[in-house]
Amino acid sequence: MTFGIDTKGSYSINSIFNILSNFPLLTYVISFFQDFMIEILKTGPIPQHIAIIMDGNRRYAKQKNIPLKEGHTAGAESLVNVLDVCYRTGVQHVTIYAFSIENFNRSKDEVDTLFGLLRDKLKMISEHEDSYARFNKIRVRIIGNRTYIPLDILHDLEIIEETTKHATSKRTLNVCFPYTTRDEISHSVRTIVSKVESGEIESKNLIDSKLIEDNFYFGSDVPPLDILIRTSGHSRLSDFMLWQSNFNSTIEFVNTLWPEFKFFSMTSILLKWSYYRTLQLEELSIMGVKTDQELKQKVNVLKELPKPPPFVSVTQR
Amino acid sequence: MTTSKLADHVRSEANVHTSMHDISQEINVIDSSVDDDKLGHQPPNSIRYNGLIHMIMITINELFNVNKLKDRTKKQTESMLGLIQFYIYHFLLLFIYILITIYKKFQTIYRKFFIKFYTLIYHHNNSPQLIRDDVNKLNKLPKTLSCILDLKDKDDEMGGIDGLINQISELTAWTLSCGIPVLQIYEFNGKLITNKSLLTKLNYKISKNLAKYFGLNNLPNYSIKIPHENLIIFGPQNTSNSEIDLQIHLLSRIDGKPTIVELTKTMSELAINKELTIQDISIDLIDEELIELVGPEPDLLIYFGPNLDLQDFPPWHIRLTEIYWEPENYDVNYSILIRALQKYSNCVTNVGK
Repeated sequence: MTFGIDTKGSYSINSIFNILSNFPLLTYVISFFQDFMIEILKTGPIPQHIAIIMDGNRRYAKQKNIPLKEGHTAGAESLVNVLDVCYRTGVQHVTIYAFSIENFNRSKDEVDTLFGLLRDKLKMISEHEDSYARFNKIRVRIIGNRTYIPLDILHDLEIIEETTKHATSKRTLNVCFPYTTRDEISHSVRTIVSKVESGEIESKNLIDSKLIEDNFYFGSDVPPLDILIRTSGHSRLSDFMLWQSNFNSTIEFVNTLWPEFKFFSMTSILLKWSYYRTLQLEELSIMGVKTDQELKQKVNVLKELPKPPPFVSVTQR
Repeated sequence: MTTSKLADHVRSEANVHTSMHDISQEINVIDSSVDDDKLGHQPPNSIRYNGLIHMIMITINELFNVNKLKDRTKKQTESMLGLIQFYIYHFLLLFIYILITIYKKFQTIYRKFFIKFYTLIYHHNNSPQLIRDDVNKLNKLPKTLSCILDLKDKDDEMGGIDGLINQISELTAWTLSCGIPVLQIYEFNGKLITNKSLLTKLNYKISKNLAKYFGLNNLPNYSIKIPHENLIIFGPQNTSNSEIDLQIHLLSRIDGKPTIVELTKTMSELAINKELTIQDISIDLIDEELIELVGPEPDLLIYFGPNLDLQDFPPWHIRLTEIYWEPENYDVNYSILIRALQKYSNCVTNVGK
């Protein structure tokens, strides 16, 4: 706790807010407000699958003048907050972009830090019976090309996956590590081709986009992506979930850095999504009642009219 | 396994010429029997309304739609108290929705003024020199520019096929003046691609519009390419020998996921015939084939619509693409293009670092 003065030695609104939020009464009020917001959000449509590109840890560290490692740690704290909001609202799958294959271009020190940090954090949330993931019954899955992971870390990760595998709820945390969409698509293509070769898929005509999706690292039991969030102001997808995000999903580019992405930012995105989804659903229920087949059927208007009154003519009897 | 052979396979599978086919001569007859009415489906995300009265009606409808609410509450609670609680919370949510609608109304007005302001500042005046002056202030340009255009309703302003063709011809003139060599036009339904008479119309409109900018006697050389059909059309003035100033690529949803599916089919067929081993299938191979089949990766993608929606754009190609769109904008506008180029020139790309 920096008591109002951040590491640069200057007062900022954020740090004053930090002190205020540590007063017991205010903490209570804030947490009450958060619960209230979540209860409200729960009554509307809820996204099933949210993906997050957590960008901005390094820039945050630079801005705050703190070591890189602490920037990553702050990012991890922020992640726990966001996960909490998502799962409490009822989101089933949260996917995070923990490490890109391209990230191997970074210095070895940083790559090692990131790997170690990720392992420690995942261990922390899944080690004991009452740690976060196991207490909230969250299934942790590692998504990505495992051949790139060093063996000792891979072993630990597999243990984590194993211990959280039997979660009774549908909540899942997909950790993309190391992942790129291009790698995923080529993996899928390779798998399908080898299946065709070995006769597991009988004919090449059975191949469609659904089959390619099913052979992704994600597997077939993942709901379609509803929201993709990228923090820190870049408007690029950086090889993350390109296939899933390019149809019928909302892409949000947010300007805040990831460690500063907190409760309010997350709820406002959820609220915005649920607002638009309500409009869409309502529109569909008004316009989309008729299916294509019903539209094609020709209606004989004359036959459907009610019967006219009896004919009465003076001359023709 | 030569790579061009793979792409040829995919094309012959789809009954398309394996070598680039020039149809500039074939299509000079204008056939006006085009059904403009069947515009096809719009991608689901582009339906968005935000009228206040509309919203209030929806909320009221939602609140009294008891059956739907009952379904939802059953999942959460059975007790009477829980039911009442649910109703209160839901009412509050709908109230927030109405507040959002009011806020959005103000935002829309603000955005409209903002866009108008920029339209006044940056105007092309049909002059390539002015456009080049604007562009020369920037420190870098994208090599490939991609634009997602909406096919609007026929009755709207700049709507229907004619509106789309007009928009493309304007974009052509602007990109030529900017000096960008490749322009990709993506339209969800691909209405232009499937109809040769529309291509004739497009070619005619583009050259007519370019004459407005560059003068009738020295029209720039351009070519219109349709990667999926492997067709190419050259502008009226040039032969295939002279240098091309601008390549226009027309894309549609069929160039996205379906093309990757076709490629997979071809690869599996070759694998059965032992012409391709599984180790050969790499990111590089797929990348090469998709560049051959669809086109280059765009550096900058501009969506000329109010809310960002990628509309099934080829997923392989948008890996590092800078995406730009202007909220509450419904038109293809020169100021939007310039602002997108400005943003592109300011952004830093560091792959992975």
